[in-house]
Formats: sequence, structure tokens, C-alpha cells
Amino acid sequence: MADLAIHTDQLTKMYGSRRGLAGLDLSVTTGEVYGFLGPNGAGKTTTIRVLLDLIRPTSGRVELLGGDPRQDGVALRRRIGYLPGDFTVDGRQSVTELLTYLGNLRGGVPRARMTALAERLDLDLTARFRSLSKGNRQKVGLVQAFMHAPELLILDEPTSGLDPLVQQTFLSMVREARAAGQTVFMSSHVMSEVQQTADRVGIVREGRMVVVERVEDLRERAVRQVEIHFEDPVSAEEFAALPGVSDVTVDQNVLRCRLDGRADALVKAAAKHTVIGLRSEEPDLEELFVTYYRGADDAAR
Amino acid sequence: MLLANPFTKALWDARRSIVGWGLTIGGIAVMYTAFYPSISKPSFAEALKNYPESIKKAFNMQDLTTPQGYLESYIFGLMVPILLAVFVIISGTRAIAGDEEAGTLDLILAHPASRPGVLLSRLAALVTEVLIICGVVYVLLLAIAGPTKISPVGAGHIAAATIQLAFFGILFAALTLGVGAATGRRAAAIGTGVAVMVLGWFANSLAPQVHGLEWAQRLSPFHYYLGGQPLVNGFDPGGSAVLLGVAAVVVVAGLVRFRSRDLAV
Repeated sequence: MADLAIHTDQLTKMYGSRRGLAGLDLSVTTGEVYGFLGPNGAGKTTTIRVLLDLIRPTSGRVELLGGDPRQDGVALRRRIGYLPGDFTVDGRQSVTELLTYLGNLRGGVPRARMTALAERLDLDLTARFRSLSKGNRQKVGLVQAFMHAPELLILDEPTSGLDPLVQQTFLSMVREARAAGQTVFMSSHVMSEVQQTADRVGIVREGRMVVVERVEDLRERAVRQVEIHFEDPVSAEEFAALPGVSDVTVDQNVLRCRLDGRADALVKAAAKHTVIGLRSEEPDLEELFVTYYRGADDAAR
Repeated sequence: MLLANPFTKALWDARRSIVGWGLTIGGIAVMYTAFYPSISKPSFAEALKNYPESIKKAFNMQDLTTPQGYLESYIFGLMVPILLAVFVIISGTRAIAGDEEAGTLDLILAHPASRPGVLLSRLAALVTEVLIICGVVYVLLLAIAGPTKISPVGAGHIAAATIQLAFFGILFAALTLGVGAATGRRAAAIGTGVAVMVLGWFANSLAPQVHGLEWAQRLSPFHYYLGGQPLVNGFDPGGSAVLLGVAAVVVVAGLVRFRSRDLAV
């Protein structure tokens, strides 16, 4: 299909007798940000290395930007930006030297783009790679992945080693990429890293896709803590029976409860009173993510 | 610009090693050659008579009093080719297997660069390095030819020997790069290179003296490099063809395997 940037069908990879992938079905739509989640060793990096034709699948089909990574590898990789999970290069070269070379492999990248990205990430281009901290090395990896504005970004654990401030910069870079029509496929083992930007997440476990969900839908279903401040005291009974609402406590004119799913009924009930303030915690999708794992675990048993 | 492509980048990365090894190998060649005037004296030839014949044969010392014989045994027969082979084995191993084990090859091959392209670029760079170092040796030998009394050999014959020395180096480049590309393991590449160098030296120098082992000499790269005595007879097309032919076969075999295998993590 033309509107799929990445498509795999029953992708299998065996390392001898050890399983890498066990029939992975993956579909990433052009223009979306896709979070590829799973615990360590689930097969995320294996999938990514198959996409880049660094390793070859045992069986199954792979389609990348409408082509075959094996047959059209060089042409396809021209349109891709890749950040490896472990970004290592020869440490003796300076960052500029490295980025210039990598840019030249792609037929040249405007120097202004390089410096703009480096400035944004607060990265010193004159430093020798070896002298950089882990976080700064990761920034070099981000610059080389983004600098040629590729159609498809494949990022393996992009935020590892980054401080929270740079993580925010990274997230806005991802949002801008999406706004520019680029597709972003990023792996992570932490939901919180991808939930802020991803349109969809796919959870992979033991080489298989366990579930694919829109982040919005996950959010809708997630349990969150809600706190409502009223002008006058309210009674707990009034809210306790509402769908999705539980653990209601009332302290004078402050109501606290857990909300599971949509907020509609609760909001409408609250609207009968004068509401001064309303606070809803960002749902913890991490919890949901772990639930999926347990669920898959139980199903397997 | 030297960062333009994998070939020039490899040369750029090797700049220090080219200078270091060029000076070392060139320096060794100059030092040994400088001893020729004192060794060519009749008194030394007298002393040499008492050496056991087998030792003289092994170290190619039958004819140390002529400049051809001296250059062949000391400069082109031992130190220079061994050091050149060591340089090539180290560089050739690093080029693919070393980078792969260090995890830096992944990033390059995730770029729009084909595996054959990267392998051949790095081979071309290493061949260029070998030619540069051999060029240094040649220029230095010519420069000191007068004072060290080796001029009778002739610039043409020294050139012939140096070219065959380069082919000898290129064989080791092909061997380490080919094995490294096929296996992705540094140990395999280094092991093959060192084994061929050491066994090749013994097969060429000792095997001919052992009854029943004479055939082993024909397996040695040293035999195809110096067996035709380029310093005496000039360029040896047959020996050169064997060195380059084997190099080509090894590279192609390595390339075929490299294209189809998984890259190590």
C-alpha cells in the first residue's frame, strides 16, 4: 500500500535457535508518529535492523517506503534518517568532521541545517566525539538523523541519555517533523517517552505485536485522578454512582475521585454545581502499558 | 575534500598511520642499506663462508656481496615485507571486521552506501596506502643509492622489486579485508593474515631445504613476490599475476559472503 511507510507481514528472524522476531506484523502510516514499545529484548532493535537491511529476515515480508530494503536498499536509505540504539563512531574525529562525512554519504547536507540543529540541541560541533558525554553523543546521533530532513525517521531509543530539557527539544523536533509531513518511527521501552508525541503505539513482546492502539484511545481508557473544587460543599453519593467514577472522597467542597474512561458523566454531574477549579492528572499510560504486558502474560499461560 | 566518500575518508583516517609506517619502513630500508658498503668488503664475505649453508639459504644470504643479493636478502627479503605485511594486516583487519565489532559499521551501512561499495572503497584506500609506503621506500633507496654503492642494481630493477613488494602487500590487504568481510571477526582476519605471513615465510625459506616439502614453497606469497628475482631479472609478470589473482579471488569471495550475511550487533 502506498500510504504505508513501513509494512511488515509475519516477519520472522531467528538467530540460530534463538528467537529474534516471531511473526511480527507492523504497519506505519505515512505521516504519523509511531511509538514502538516493548521491554528489552522484545525484538525492537531486530525489527529496525531488518528495515535498514543490516540483517536479513528468516521469513516474512518487509516493505519500506514502497520498496524492498533488500533490493532497493541504497535508494531507500537515502530517504531515511536513522538513529541507532547504541550510537558509536570512531571517537578520534570531531563532530563537524563526522557530520560532514555522513552528510556527504547522502550527497551533501546544507551546513546551515547542521549548525542550526546543533545550536538548538546545544551541541559543540568542534569537540572530538570521544570527549563527549553520553548525552552529547546522543545529540550528535539526533543531528545526523534529522539533518537531511528525511521522509522517514527511524529512531531506536532516541531519548536515552538525554536530560529532560533536551528531551523536550527532541519532542518538539518530532512534532515539527510530523507537521512537515515526515513519518517518525521510534522505539522505546518507556511509554512516557512516546505518549507525548506518538499518534499510535504498538507494543511488541517476545517478537510479536501484542497490541496497536491510538494514543488518544489509550488516554480515553486510562485511569486518572480527578480533583474538583466547588463553591459549596457537595455530597459523595451524588458522584459515586457515575459510570467510570470510583474511590470518591469529599472534603467539604473538594471532590477527589478516580476516573476510568470518559469524563463526560462526571463533568455533567459537576456542572450542576458551581465549579471553581478542576484538575485532572495526565493519565499514566505506563500503568496501562504494564497491564498489557501482564495481560499478554496471562493469555500466554 | 577528504570527507567526500568512504575512499577518501579512509585515507584521511589513515593519515597518521601512513606517515608513521612510511617513515618506519622507509627508515628501516635506509638503515639496512647503509650497512651494505661495510658488508660488501671481502673480509665479511670470508666470515660468511663459515655460516652453515642452511642458515644462509633460509635468510637468503648466499650472495650478500653483490648489491642485488644484499638488497634481496635484507631489505626486500625480510624486514620491509614483514613490516609492510604487519601494517596491512592491522589496517585491513580494522577496515571491516574491526569497525563491525566496534559497532561503527552499522551507521555507515544504514546510510545510502552499499556493502560492496564500502568494502571496495576501503580496499582501494588500503591499496593506495601500500602504494604510498612502497613509493617512499623506492624514493629513499634511489636517494641513497650512490653513497651506499647499490647503484649497479639500477633504478628499473629496484622499481620492479618495489612494485612486486606492493603486490605482496595488496595480497595481504585482500586477505584481511576479505576474511574480515566474510566473517565480521577481527580474530579471523588477523589470524589469517599472520598465519599466511609466518607460514609463507617458512614455506619459502625452509621448505625447499626439507626433502619432500619442496612443494610448499609454491604456496608461499614470498615465492611469487621474490622468486623471480626482480632485482636481478627485472619485473616478474608471472609472480605478480599470481599475487594479484589470488587477491582478487579472496576479495570477491569475501564480498559475496559480506553481501548476504547479517551484520553483527
